[in-house]
Amino acid sequence: MSEPERVSLAFIWDTASPHFSRRTFVRTMAFMGAAGFAAACGSSGNNSSAGTGSAGGSTPFRLSNKPEAKVLNFYNWTDYIADDTIPNFQKETGIKVTYDNYDSNDELFAKMRTGDTGFDLIVPTDAFVVKMKHADLLQPLDLSLITNINNLDPRFRTADYDPGNLYSIPWQWGTTGIGFDQTQVGGSVTDWDAFNLPAVNGKSAFLDEARDAFAMALFALGHDPNTLDTGQLDDAEKYLIDLKKKVKSITSDYQDPLKSGELLLCQAYSGDVFQIQTDNKNVQYVIPKSGAFSWVDNMAIPKGAPHPRNAETFMNYILEPKVGAALTNYVQYGSPNKAAEPYIDKSITGNPLIYPPASVLAKLPFQKDLGENEIEYADRWDKVKSA
Amino acid sequence: MSVAAADPPPAREQHAHRRRLPNWLKANLLLLPTSVWFAFLLVIPTAIIVGYSLGKRGIIDPVHFSWGHLIWSNYTEALNTIYLPIFIRSIEYAAISTLLCVVLGFPLAYWIARFGGRLRNVYLVLVIIPFLTSYLIRMYAWQFILQRNGLLNRLLGDVGLGRNHEFLNHPSAVILGLTYGFLPFMILPLYASIERMDKALVEASYDLGHGKISTFFRVILPSTAPGLVAGVLLVFIPAVGDFITPELLGGVRTQMIGTTIADQFGGTQNWPLGSSMSILLTAFILIGVFVYLRRVGEEAL
Repeated sequence: MSEPERVSLAFIWDTASPHFSRRTFVRTMAFMGAAGFAAACGSSGNNSSAGTGSAGGSTPFRLSNKPEAKVLNFYNWTDYIADDTIPNFQKETGIKVTYDNYDSNDELFAKMRTGDTGFDLIVPTDAFVVKMKHADLLQPLDLSLITNINNLDPRFRTADYDPGNLYSIPWQWGTTGIGFDQTQVGGSVTDWDAFNLPAVNGKSAFLDEARDAFAMALFALGHDPNTLDTGQLDDAEKYLIDLKKKVKSITSDYQDPLKSGELLLCQAYSGDVFQIQTDNKNVQYVIPKSGAFSWVDNMAIPKGAPHPRNAETFMNYILEPKVGAALTNYVQYGSPNKAAEPYIDKSITGNPLIYPPASVLAKLPFQKDLGENEIEYADRWDKVKSA
Repeated sequence: MSVAAADPPPAREQHAHRRRLPNWLKANLLLLPTSVWFAFLLVIPTAIIVGYSLGKRGIIDPVHFSWGHLIWSNYTEALNTIYLPIFIRSIEYAAISTLLCVVLGFPLAYWIARFGGRLRNVYLVLVIIPFLTSYLIRMYAWQFILQRNGLLNRLLGDVGLGRNHEFLNHPSAVILGLTYGFLPFMILPLYASIERMDKALVEASYDLGHGKISTFFRVILPSTAPGLVAGVLLVFIPAVGDFITPELLGGVRTQMIGTTIADQFGGTQNWPLGSSMSILLTAFILIGVFVYLRRVGEEAL
């Protein structure tokens, strides 16, 4: 083949094109405009039809008389269930469980927002129970079917994020404290001021979550972590902007860096740190003295779930003392199930980081649902991140 | 070949002529699929973003839009001086990356075009191959290479240079990522231009007494300007708005405007502000491109 005939891959980038006359240009633009207009009409037409469709579909909220197929579609966090939980449930009830996993609340929330996902049971963290409730993504529970609810520790029956458990039943709980590498930190870590230790300067991080980061500042300053007081929030904002100068990053993706020693100290969820310990024994967890948020992951039923009854059956099953204990013995988080405690391993109930004594527990409030006032935190968080 | 076959029946030709569409319509029909595509995925989304940028924010519903109550203050908020350092930093990182892409890309493109011989297309494929992997995955790969117990530190440790260097969370890591990620965008248009350049011009320049440097600046550079202009635009524009690279390779002091905009749609939940920032950034880039093209000359493209 002769040289000029060779097809060059670079032809797609060839910017020299035959000259375009003004008339062709105008005509082409007019044509594209018309096509765009037609497309726009088409899309608005689609929207309206979709709108009526969903309005019609949402009216029969729950078909209570229709018997459900013996199926439960369960969407849970990765590595967050005992090996025998599902097989035993299937054996006892004859309900077949399909099990799928996600890695973050954001992922779960985004998926639920897309509409009908077919899942019957999800496990959002408290703050996301609130968000999903407001976004009208959850359906109220039929508590008459969850007779074991009284097995719950009373603390979880009146929690600020869902008082009365109208939408959610707690799964496991923990705290948002500090994870650190004890061989590298070079000092004792007992409270939030550990971020000031010289050895961790530029090697620490805090969470990329507005409410968690502000709670850290508010606890450290001795203020209410759910405050809406302007003066206290001003203090906290200033605290975080100052703290930002000392840390390496603001991230919720801290597990690998903490494991590898890239980060020596970070604000962390208790369970994450316990998981790191299986690979790196030097990483320790502490509940800061001045206080920290408790978090709770909760079972909830998405709106439009095909098998809500089966989900409630599962919730009731998990609340059985021995089942709840087996779950906790496996995943090693705190159980909200008071009746399960006698069956939980002593190494877990005796661990003050998982089962803190009453005096510590008093300083571990839940995050409160602030409704539209969350904006107050969001705006200040933006200022901290942009500072 | 028979004579009859070379001479088609006249009736069929007439028939074909009658059904032929006018030329302008025929050409525009080719544009139909793309036009619909752009209408759905560019024009309408942009209109939605403009709408969001004039809406009122909320926590439960992220945006409340009403024609009677357009919130123009989203734009003044987006121009708040607290975002200025982030904006300047984005331009700085993108500009340095673009420059590095030119410095790294030009010699390679020139070499492939002039000395690549029969294997030219193979070399081009080699440039494109990393492109077939998702940008996100390539940036994660850099994270693995640069992190504290990463490949680079281990390698340095093995040759006795210490294994505890901090490469991540530094501006140079972000610039490295951007340069690496967008380099093919520079090489390909440069290659197209260089390949088209008349080799005889270079010889003529030597014959007329110009040295190598003078020939480069007076002959090679002007005749490859179209590729250079295209390459600069293709690298600078995505780099300035990038948010994955600073997120994965940078830290608390390397935030770029793309990250700030992404935050408005994530943690901060201020969609109207994020939308107005996007519109302003787009407008800024369009004006920048316009001025740039006016200065370097539209002929170059």
